[in-house]
Amino acid sequence: MLYHIDRPTSYIVVGNRLKGAKPLEVTFKDVTLSYDGKREILHHLNFTIPEGTLVSILGPSGCGKSTTLMMISGLLAPTSGKIFFGDQDVTKKDALARKVGMVFQNYALYPHLSVLENIEFPLKMAKVPKKDRKKKAIELAKLVHIDDQLDKKPGALSGGQQQRVAIARALAKEPSLLLLDEPLSNLDARLRIEMRQEIRRIQQETGVTTIFVTHDQDEALHISDHIMVLNQGQIQQFSSAETLYDNPSNLFVSQFIGEPVINTLDITDFDRELEGHVDAEILQRAKKVGIRPEALQDHDTGSETLTTIATKVKHSEKYGREKNALLDFHGKPLLTTEMRAEVADEQELPLYLQRHGFYLFDENGVRIFGGDQDA
Amino acid sequence: MKLKVAMVLRYVILILGAVIMLMPFLWMLSTSLKTQPETVKIPPIWIPKQLQFSNYVEAFKQAPFFQYFINSVIVTSITTIGQLFTSILAAFAFSRLNFYGKNFLFVIFLGTMMVPGEMLIIPNFVTLSQLHLVNTYGALIIPWLASFFTVFTLRQTFQSVPDQIYYAAKIDGASDWHYLWHVLVPISKSTITAVTVLQVIGSWNSFMWPLIVTNSENLRTLPVGLQAFTSDAGTNYAWLMAASTFVIIPMVILYIFLQKYIIAGISKTGLKG
Repeated sequence: MLYHIDRPTSYIVVGNRLKGAKPLEVTFKDVTLSYDGKREILHHLNFTIPEGTLVSILGPSGCGKSTTLMMISGLLAPTSGKIFFGDQDVTKKDALARKVGMVFQNYALYPHLSVLENIEFPLKMAKVPKKDRKKKAIELAKLVHIDDQLDKKPGALSGGQQQRVAIARALAKEPSLLLLDEPLSNLDARLRIEMRQEIRRIQQETGVTTIFVTHDQDEALHISDHIMVLNQGQIQQFSSAETLYDNPSNLFVSQFIGEPVINTLDITDFDRELEGHVDAEILQRAKKVGIRPEALQDHDTGSETLTTIATKVKHSEKYGREKNALLDFHGKPLLTTEMRAEVADEQELPLYLQRHGFYLFDENGVRIFGGDQDA
Repeated sequence: MKLKVAMVLRYVILILGAVIMLMPFLWMLSTSLKTQPETVKIPPIWIPKQLQFSNYVEAFKQAPFFQYFINSVIVTSITTIGQLFTSILAAFAFSRLNFYGKNFLFVIFLGTMMVPGEMLIIPNFVTLSQLHLVNTYGALIIPWLASFFTVFTLRQTFQSVPDQIYYAAKIDGASDWHYLWHVLVPISKSTITAVTVLQVIGSWNSFMWPLIVTNSENLRTLPVGLQAFTSDAGTNYAWLMAASTFVIIPMVILYIFLQKYIIAGISKTGLKG
């Protein structure tokens, strides 16, 4: 399956784009990586990242997302398959020749060089004259708001400041592609939110195609135009954040995206509640049931309601403006975030199962009911 | 009160240690200013009746010390620079590059560190004489242009530099060569200084090897040159110590300025002194 996404029409380049940085489209054609010839780390990856977009690669640790990034950068060569930048085949080119910018999880700044020298380093390697590279470095330092720290060594900076320097350095040689490998995971919560907005801003100001690797769905959902969900070396789904949530293509995606996590039940946990509401042929094939916590309402919603189920309240709590209840359904736990009425523990409670947020998956985990059928 | 006793005890031990360490130096200094009869007096005297500064002048007249000094400087600087260069390259290869037989080679080299230096004197001498290098600068320099101790120490340091720094340099357009000299070496400055200092001291003080492979006077290094004061008729300790003082001055200066690195070098590797 080839994952291809059109360039979003809503994409706007704001501010003065850095000259010379032509955004680039990245294409993987049947890229496979195995370390010892047997164990495959990545299986036949096919995708296109549209030029000028910010794409997140999201997945649990060990899913191959950083490895994918390493292959895009040229630090790692695929075992088979081809990688294209635009229409140019770069499979055989190393990191030096691919001219991408990259930010590492631990920033990987040169500890013996000052902030200014760090940003200048790629320009020095490209033999840019001294005067020009200083001018360029200062310009970049201003872009990432670090121009007041130019003479300091990285060791004297905070995590967020180091991050900014790393981004400026990655942008210094005007890459057509900016790669970010879990750039926020070493920052504290508040700073992480600030920096992800910063990355978004910088990406939009420069217009550079950006690929952002993360294991944090929240980060991916907030920052990206598109998200590629990766698990066990395979692309699970590559689409917008909204589509990922509303139309997960399989059980893994439905469980990985969403907070609190989707309720997952076996089809055998239901008696006859679904009969007549879901096509008999689909029910026959269904193996697993996914129900978003907000798809369990305690009141009738008319045509939005698929069916009702009988549950018993085990425990209910109020978190800020959210009222949650943990329920028992045929001996299995269900979580809802949509409680309106006050309920007592152990109380019998009929729930209205909503069409939106209810999915059935077949034995391979593929979604066969719920969401937009064509998505 | 208890604390005070512990403090006093600690200082007493430290002072005792310092005195023991300094004793030979003090004896050297004092002897260099004695008259000949005073040097052999028992019990030894520490402060000569009259300071014989003329010993220094006399000592210099006994042998071409300026030539020896030049030889020592040449040998020490070339071996140090050469050894540092080869070791940095080898340490980089062992820490970063992948090549066939890397680990095997490393273990073999590590094994050579277990062989006592004295055992290598004869085979090395034989090799050099077959190459017709005995009694040349080559004999003093070539065997010391590589040191696995230095390779090993640098490799440990190079390995402690995160992979990401290497990848970042690659992404930034640096070749391996550039990464080595513009990133890795500056980052490893303190270890490199430490091994340099150890090498300079070792090379400057080296006695046995230069003694064996040279016999013409104009190739002697300072430590070997000190033999000039020992003859069949005995040793003139006053002159010997005057010359010795002169020999160790550069090392003392080096030590005063770089003691931080020397200690770091020893504590980092737990090897060699």
